[in-house]
Amino acid sequence: MNRRDVLKSMAAGAAIGAAEAMFPGVFFVPAGGLSTAAAQTPAADGGLAWKKTPCRFCGVGCGLLVGISNGRAVAVKGDPASPVNRGLCCVKGYHSVMALYGKDRLTRALVRKDGKLVPVPMKEALDLVASKMAETIKTHGKDAVAMYGSGQWTIPDGYVASKFMKGGIGTNNLEGNARLCMASAVTGFMTSFGLDEPMGCYEDIDHADTFVLWGNNMAEMHPVLFSRLLERRLKNPDVKIIDLATRWTRTSMAADRSILFKPQTDLAIANAICHEIIRNDWVHTGFVRDHVSFHEGKTSIGYGLEDKFAFKDEPKTITLERYRELLADYSVEKVEALSGVPARELRYLASLYADPRRKVMSLWCMGFNQHTRGTWINNLVYNIHLLVGKIATPGNSPFSLTGQPSACGTVREVGTLTHRLPHGDVTDEKARKLAAEIWSVPVERIPAKPTYHTVEMFRAVDRGDIRFLWIQVTNPMVTMPKLRRYRDGLKKDDRFIVVSDVYPTPTTDVADVVLPAAMWIEREGMFGNSERRTQHFDRMLTPPGEAMSDTWQIIEVARRMGFEKLFPWSEATHIPEIWKEYSRFQHGPDHEMAPYEELKKRPGVMWPFVNGKETKWRYNGQYDPAAKGAFDFYGKPDHRAWIWFRPYEAPPEVPDAQYPFWLNTGRVLEHWHTGSMTRRVPILHQAVPAAYVELHPDDARRLGIGNGQRVRLVTRRGALVLPAQIDGRARPPEGQVFVPFFDEGLLINELTLDAYCPISGQPDYKKCAVKVERA
Amino acid sequence: MPIKSYLAYPVRGQREALVAALRGLGGCEVVVAANRDLLVVVTDTPDEATEDALQEALARLPAIESLALVAGISEGEARYEST
Amino acid sequence: MDRSRYFLIGLGVLLMAALVVVVGLSLTAGERPARVLPVQAAPTPTLPTEAGMYARVDAAAEYAAMPKEPNRKRTRAVYYARRAYPGAPPVIPHAIDEGDAGGRLCLACHGDGGWAPRFEAYAPVTPHPELISCRQCHVPQSPSPNPLPRGERVFTTLAPGGGEGRVRGSVSDWQTVTPPPLRGAAMPGSPPPIPHALQMRENCRACHAGPAAVDEFRTSHPERVTCRQCHALAAPPAEAFARPAEGGR
Repeated sequence: MNRRDVLKSMAAGAAIGAAEAMFPGVFFVPAGGLSTAAAQTPAADGGLAWKKTPCRFCGVGCGLLVGISNGRAVAVKGDPASPVNRGLCCVKGYHSVMALYGKDRLTRALVRKDGKLVPVPMKEALDLVASKMAETIKTHGKDAVAMYGSGQWTIPDGYVASKFMKGGIGTNNLEGNARLCMASAVTGFMTSFGLDEPMGCYEDIDHADTFVLWGNNMAEMHPVLFSRLLERRLKNPDVKIIDLATRWTRTSMAADRSILFKPQTDLAIANAICHEIIRNDWVHTGFVRDHVSFHEGKTSIGYGLEDKFAFKDEPKTITLERYRELLADYSVEKVEALSGVPARELRYLASLYADPRRKVMSLWCMGFNQHTRGTWINNLVYNIHLLVGKIATPGNSPFSLTGQPSACGTVREVGTLTHRLPHGDVTDEKARKLAAEIWSVPVERIPAKPTYHTVEMFRAVDRGDIRFLWIQVTNPMVTMPKLRRYRDGLKKDDRFIVVSDVYPTPTTDVADVVLPAAMWIEREGMFGNSERRTQHFDRMLTPPGEAMSDTWQIIEVARRMGFEKLFPWSEATHIPEIWKEYSRFQHGPDHEMAPYEELKKRPGVMWPFVNGKETKWRYNGQYDPAAKGAFDFYGKPDHRAWIWFRPYEAPPEVPDAQYPFWLNTGRVLEHWHTGSMTRRVPILHQAVPAAYVELHPDDARRLGIGNGQRVRLVTRRGALVLPAQIDGRARPPEGQVFVPFFDEGLLINELTLDAYCPISGQPDYKKCAVKVERA
Repeated sequence: MPIKSYLAYPVRGQREALVAALRGLGGCEVVVAANRDLLVVVTDTPDEATEDALQEALARLPAIESLALVAGISEGEARYEST
Repeated sequence: MDRSRYFLIGLGVLLMAALVVVVGLSLTAGERPARVLPVQAAPTPTLPTEAGMYARVDAAAEYAAMPKEPNRKRTRAVYYARRAYPGAPPVIPHAIDEGDAGGRLCLACHGDGGWAPRFEAYAPVTPHPELISCRQCHVPQSPSPNPLPRGERVFTTLAPGGGEGRVRGSVSDWQTVTPPPLRGAAMPGSPPPIPHALQMRENCRACHAGPAAVDEFRTSHPERVTCRQCHALAAPPAEAFARPAEGGR
């Protein structure tokens, strides 16, 4: 607040004091007309209206209470009623509402004329988008247009996008940036269980006594959940937190034991643990006999480096004996040599998993998912839990943490991916028929063949197979791996790029049309977090200028293209109408969604929501109405969980004589993704103002680099100069460097490699070869 | 220009009309008493001309019974420990 | 003659033995506890808003005995300057050792307070020492005293349209509520109500007592430990109490 505001409040206070003297007992209401506050004896809640919402940022999905005054968000509290965070947030959550108020907020539509973006009325921009899309379809066909959305899309955003592209236009060119963050987790779930999303929930934290963190810096990336782990340990000294990572981070400092391994050898480590469990006869034979089947697939499956790379697995059912044979190469001694983890530590890990008195929760995120064998490593961690029967019961929980606030709720559950529908896959005729019925479109219109996953989609734009791309709520011109190719591709002539966003970014810099978007609580919506919890938020604020919600932008364009019948709703009621229609896809005890009124009332409701109760543990007959018997993995035709043998395979590019270091990338606590929101929050920007490169002190000494000095990083794809950070908040091992990707002025993704997991299509941002030298 | 605060008494039954009218004038902030027909008005204008225009407008409001000046604070007087 | 002597000796011995037994019994009886030990009670449940009330109650007597000199360093203005809005987690205003994400290192000074010679100030005491992942919410600011790369104080975007050069772009338009004013007592001399929520601030003594307390907030009576006996939470006012009119409603 500024000086003048202070003087005004002093003057107001004087008048109020005078009134009190003349009329004892009088009390006042601030000008916003809020009826529950007093201005002279300020209410403990500050005289504000507090409204609930899930946080805008990570996949933990903390419940927030936002303080609204005079049409502005002015304060934040953690929502004590939320079972997720119980009133605590992190520095991003506490300052989240400040991200609404950067001064260069996009408030007007922009169209590129003669190379410059000029403001135009929103109506004109929407007309242009619709006409360009129709023209492209006419000239080049339906599959020449594409939409790229986001795990930060609300559920209604994703639903109308899916209905528009698949039910209206009739193309499967719909992808979301969750492909770059969770795709391997999804294919891991689908291959191991036949159904997506965790079988457990956050409440497992309150029951488990052993937490194994695999390749994820939970203290910075899921900080509030990590605080729940710490709180559990504070109250119970038997609790152990083990950090298994390729680099020493804040999480390592807080853990009971920190174990470093060489990049990619997580595959071997998981197999070694399974080997040890079998060798010591620690297998839960009854559980395995009744609820598990064994399988193997193809090996040497490639890395997706070539355009139009295609892969189809060949699954084979095998026996436990055959599985045991396949594991022969993964004794702890052999894996010690490969991974750098001492055999003793591997045995220790195996013993923790196998100890019948311990309840084990495994937690992972990008270390597993952004991995050229991401599907495999997800399978392998499930293998460990399945062999010892520690799954789907309170505290025994292999838990895949989600990165974005609604990668689960929108991209995965609504299915905004090339091969998905809101229920089922496009390849499944029953799923297409269901969609055709709910959407009232001819079933032939919904295409049966998936087209491109994200990396392939951007390659298609580069080649010219896609000529029109609409990007919403994401910043691919900072996040695509091997960035230069895709930036050049989008900038080519005869590519029409539409970007919906809230601030100017390197992606709006290449756009032909920029549409200003309403942000978060400026529109009504829902997010779905890691633990299957759908959380609703009201519209609390008016969007600035002509900013319009992504949902309504899509509806406006769709109507202009002749699809009014698919989007008949009024602006006042479209969100609850969309929720009602979307819920029809998910009927059944395995996925039932809560009704709108429940979502409005409660700080989130988990699905399946069956007969008024949330299913906290799926596949367990005691908690899951869809499960028959003690355990029922009903996602698979044999009602069993599938153990897959998956071998260790090296990454496509490893350090060599010319490029002797590993390059690892990731985030920091204070910044969300590409920083377009958090860098406009002064307190977060000031905390970490620019990117840097982390070096081990011995490497730095050897290269003659001091803390803060300029370092040049060179890969086969590009070069970048960054300041060094030595023993800051984390320390990579010798031979590895780490760079955070939030800084649009230091585009580390120009150096990374666009290799991906052939099964999921998710790129590996954690491993490529780099040369490090003093600049 | 000095920041001024007033106690404003609306004509009986016309409180809402007065609140609406005051909010329609530029440079006015209104705090409404919840249990009495009484308003606190805080005015803040950038220059003398606007201040005079505002004074005239206030005098002409039909819904005002009476207006009592309570405090006037000009820039130079107040002290605030700035951060 | 012998017979009666033996009888008397025997009686004497019997009496001695009886004496020993009785004395012994009464001595050991005296060592037994005089009461029945109670059955182990269930642990006292923790009520969230009451949890911090008596924390650091031992310090209360110390604070009362301290001379009443103002701190001068920690003023109300400085207090709010460190917070993006009233109730926000304050920034870390001093150099920190990067080797710890929180926990023991921060609590060494901020757990119970005390004089920090390095900063020539009393360390503020945290009202929530059980939350040990300090850097999750509290961050330092740039230009950081740490040898971190220095960024610009204000985030600037690249030139729009992707051209060269940096353009002064986004300064923030953040506005927030004014902090609660200091006076709020219903009558002169009344105990002022608590103008802030108790969430994560249940321990009054952490901020309102002791040498590290903000001057304007410091209580005049730290020896009174049951704060909420007199100071009520300033809740949004309910309708004033009124008895139903005659004839009821």
